[in-house]
Amino acid sequence: MTVRGVLKTLSPLFACIGLLCVWQIASLRLDTESFPTALESIKAIPSILGDKGSLLNILDSIRRMTIGLVLAVMFAIPLGLLMGRIKAVAAFFNPLMMIIYPVPKAALMPIIMLWMGVGDVSKILVIFLGVSLPIIYHAFQGSKAVEEKMLWSGAAMGMSAPMRMLRIVLPAALPEILTGCRTGLVLALITMITSEMIARQSGAGNILFNSLDMAQYDTVFAMILIIGAMGIIFDAAFEKLRLSLVRWSQPRDDMPLSFT
Amino acid sequence: MQVVSLRSDAHAESEPLSGRKPASAMIEIDHVSQRFQTSGKQSHLALSDINLTIEDGAFVSILGPSGCGKSTLLYIVGGFVQPTDGVAKVKGKAITGPGPDRGPVFQEFALFPWKNVLGNVMYGMRQQGMKKSEADARGRKLLEMVGLKGYENFYPKELSGGMKQRVAIARTLAYDPAVLLMDEPFGALDAHTRTRLQNDLLDIWDTQRKTVLFVTHSVEEAVYLSDKVIVMSRSPGSIKEIVDIDLPRPRKRADLLLDARFQKYIVDIEKMIDDGKDHL
Repeated sequence: MTVRGVLKTLSPLFACIGLLCVWQIASLRLDTESFPTALESIKAIPSILGDKGSLLNILDSIRRMTIGLVLAVMFAIPLGLLMGRIKAVAAFFNPLMMIIYPVPKAALMPIIMLWMGVGDVSKILVIFLGVSLPIIYHAFQGSKAVEEKMLWSGAAMGMSAPMRMLRIVLPAALPEILTGCRTGLVLALITMITSEMIARQSGAGNILFNSLDMAQYDTVFAMILIIGAMGIIFDAAFEKLRLSLVRWSQPRDDMPLSFT
Repeated sequence: MQVVSLRSDAHAESEPLSGRKPASAMIEIDHVSQRFQTSGKQSHLALSDINLTIEDGAFVSILGPSGCGKSTLLYIVGGFVQPTDGVAKVKGKAITGPGPDRGPVFQEFALFPWKNVLGNVMYGMRQQGMKKSEADARGRKLLEMVGLKGYENFYPKELSGGMKQRVAIARTLAYDPAVLLMDEPFGALDAHTRTRLQNDLLDIWDTQRKTVLFVTHSVEEAVYLSDKVIVMSRSPGSIKEIVDIDLPRPRKRADLLLDARFQKYIVDIEKMIDDGKDHL
């Protein structure tokens, strides 16, 4: 690998180190209790991850996020694909989506909590709602953009309409769908934390706000780092998966926008 | 030279093509009209009372100004578009939808970008239930025939326009349709690539003798390739003339370009198309 190549691969790491340096200097200069230094915060991470209770809380968050995300993907992709190909389905769901789309899903949390309690169901439902819409939207766009002639070619080979949906529309729309899923993944993390901030019972968001209440600022910042790292790791892992699935559609020399 | 002028309702007069066994009708188009709804309550008559018979194994081109409905006619035969009136038949059976007996080749190639070249060619065969090993072998043979040996593992995005169209032709030939429906297949290609693909198509047609329905707006291309050229006029789209191209085969482009009969066909057909414009 050339020097240039090495630099290119390591550039996200440099960005990370740079941000931490700025943080360290800023916090040393400001010197307030509520703004611990980067080093203090990083030092607090092992004690959180070493604590069985905290670790279980974080794993609980990931579990809810995964369930919400998987349910959303299973629901949103077929719906989006059908909306893109069948006018009646689009005509029915489009106005509905237009109303739901701009509403912050976390704002629904109080009502959902009222009806379904503060447990898993409410939180998973909010994650599901938050994640579904961008995936539906992208699946819809991707399926609408499938070239008619491609479907005709399939029909001439003797493929039935459901078969064409599964074997032509789905793969053809996959790059767009996966773009939606990537947005969805990050949104799942956001809604996960938000839901736990509102319904404070367990989870990473709960640890974060409890330590804020107790003025344990190094824990607060350490939790932010942990949650941030989770986001980066999930996103990078998903990018790897995405690239392996849709390499056929990637333009060469694409600017990497992730830590893969 | 014989320019046989036929009214659009006089399809019964079309005679078997010279130099070939008396052929049976492969495609029959019987009083077909196509009306499209435009904005509001308006409608546009794209095709008006088309009657046409195409014999088995014939190479027939449809020529006409843009908007004359020549592609629509091809799509009706393909079963992709249902005619508003009339019936289109293939091998005596009314066409109700697309089927593997009629293989389309589009100007846009319409390859499956997530499949590599071999995967594209195998797709239709696998769809027809052919064994993987068998489809693989036949796919490779077809790719060799269209001059793409060594490109089996390339993805469509890595190919030039001409190569993409070669893949598309191989993909369609793979499931062995009786009729090839070609919708301006070489329209998006540069002149040089176009000529090479025309020659290769003639070679393929020579060995496989499929019925070819070929839509183009190039008079030269139509005359060079076809046994018969159908000249259409627009508003509403209808058949103006059917010209039998009585040039010996196998045809060599270099010879034909100097051939007075070839030149006269082109000039005559261009005049027919121009005549149509005067009435607009």
